Amino acid sequence: MEGGGGSSWGVHSVCQTPPRDPPPYPAVVESTEEFHFVERLLPPACVPSPPQHPSYPTPSGWIPPRVPPPALPYHVGRSRMHNLPLYRRVANGNRRITELRRIRGDIWALEKELREFVGQRVGKQPLTQVNELSGTLRLKGHVDNEVRAWLLLKGF
Amino acid sequence: MSGNGVHGVHGALQLLRSLPKVSLANLRPNPGSKKPERRRGRGRYRGRKCGRGHKGERQRGNRPRLGFEGGQTPFYLSIPKYGFNEGHSCRRKYHPLSLQKLQYLIDLGRVDPTQPIDLTQLTNARGVTVQPLKRDYGVQLVEEGADIFAAKINIEVQRASELAIAAIEKNGGVVTASFYDPRSLEILIRPVPFFLRGQPIPKRMLPPEDLVRYYTDASNRGYLADPSKVAEARLELAKKYGYTLPDITKDELFKMLSTRKDPRQIFFGLAPGWIVNMADKKILKPTDERLLKYYSS
Repeated sequence: MEGGGGSSWGVHSVCQTPPRDPPPYPAVVESTEEFHFVERLLPPACVPSPPQHPSYPTPSGWIPPRVPPPALPYHVGRSRMHNLPLYRRVANGNRRITELRRIRGDIWALEKELREFVGQRVGKQPLTQVNELSGTLRLKGHVDNEVRAWLLLKGF
Repeated sequence: MSGNGVHGVHGALQLLRSLPKVSLANLRPNPGSKKPERRRGRGRYRGRKCGRGHKGERQRGNRPRLGFEGGQTPFYLSIPKYGFNEGHSCRRKYHPLSLQKLQYLIDLGRVDPTQPIDLTQLTNARGVTVQPLKRDYGVQLVEEGADIFAAKINIEVQRASELAIAAIEKNGGVVTASFYDPRSLEILIRPVPFFLRGQPIPKRMLPPEDLVRYYTDASNRGYLADPSKVAEARLELAKKYGYTLPDITKDELFKMLSTRKDPRQIFFGLAPGWIVNMADKKILKPTDERLLKYYSS
C-alpha cells in the first residue's frame, strides 16, 4: 500500500524500482557414474541369508540347520539372525535358567528327551517348565552348552 | 493335563474356548502359595516395643544422618578427593569390536569381505552401535578371537590393538586406523538421513594434537603414516609373532585391499563438496573455483 502524505511513521512507499536479477549462482555438474558408491552405503532392507560355506562349522562356530528338517514330532525354528533360539536368563543375581524358544509340535516329547540327555551329560536331570502356548521350555541352571549340543545333533 | 484327546497348544486353546471368561471373580493364587507375612507390631512377640529397641535415639526415631560416626571424622570426609572421574564426559570412547564378532558377521553374510569394510558397513550389518553424542569416536579392534580368525579383509577402524593387526595381516588382509571427528562420524554411520538433508558432504577434519602422534605412527597402521614405514612395520610384526607375511600384490583382490580413503574423505568414492540426490539418483558436483579449492585442500 502506498504511503500517503498522512503517514506519521515516515515509511517509504513500496519499492518502485524493478527487482534485481538474482545473484549468479555457480553452475553445478550432475553425474550418475559414482552413484553405485552411494548404493553401497544403503543399509539392507532385511536380514541377509547366510552364504554357502565349504565346511561346517564355520571359523566362528556357526552351523546351519539341516536341510531338509529332521522328521521328528517337534521342531525348533532358528531366530531371525539364523541362530539357535537358546537364551540364558539370570533373575535376582542367582537364579539361573536356560530358555529354549520357538518350539512347535509335541513339546512334551522334546522336554522328556532333552531332560534325559542333559541329565546324562550333567549327572542330574534338570527341573523344567513347559509353556505349551508360547512353545518355550525352561531348564534350571545354565545348561545351554548341553542343549546346544543336543539341538545340533538333531539337526535343528 | 494331557488326556487321551487333544494335547499341547490345541488342548490349551480348547480349554480357553470352553472355560468362562477370566475375571477377578474366578482368579485366585494356588492354595498355600501366599502365606501372610509377619508384620511388625502385631502379636505377643512382635508387639510391645515393636522392633524399635529400648529408649534412646533408636526408639525415639532421632538417629543422626547416614555416615555420622559420633563426632569422629567420618570415613567419607577423611579420605582426600582425587579426580578419578574428572573430565569423564570429555573422554573419547571407542566401542570394542572383537575379531570373533567380525568373523561371525562375515560367516553369516552380514558383512561383505570382498568390499572394503568401513564403519558404515559394520553399522549396516548391526555389528556395532556407535553413539557420537555420547563421545564415541568410533570402533577399536580387540583380540578376542584372534586364533580362529580366517578372513582376508580390508578394514578401517579407529584403533586397533597389535595382536588384532597381526591376526588380520596374517590372513592377507589390511588394517587402517583413521580418525573421524564427531560430525563426520555421525554422517558416516547414518549416511541416508544426511543425504536427505541436501547438504554437501563436508571435509573430514584432521585429528587433534594428542591424536596426531597415534595416527602418524606406522606401528598403529595410522592413515597419516608413511606407506613405506607401514610396509616395514608389517614385516616387523610378522617377525615378532612368527608368521610369514603373505604378499598382497599377487592377490586377485589386491585392488580392493589397497583401496584407501583420502584423509579428507568420508565415504569411498564420494568426494567432499558433492551433494547426493537420492530421489533422482544423481550426484551434484560444484564447479565454482573457490568451492573446488576449499574442498580439495
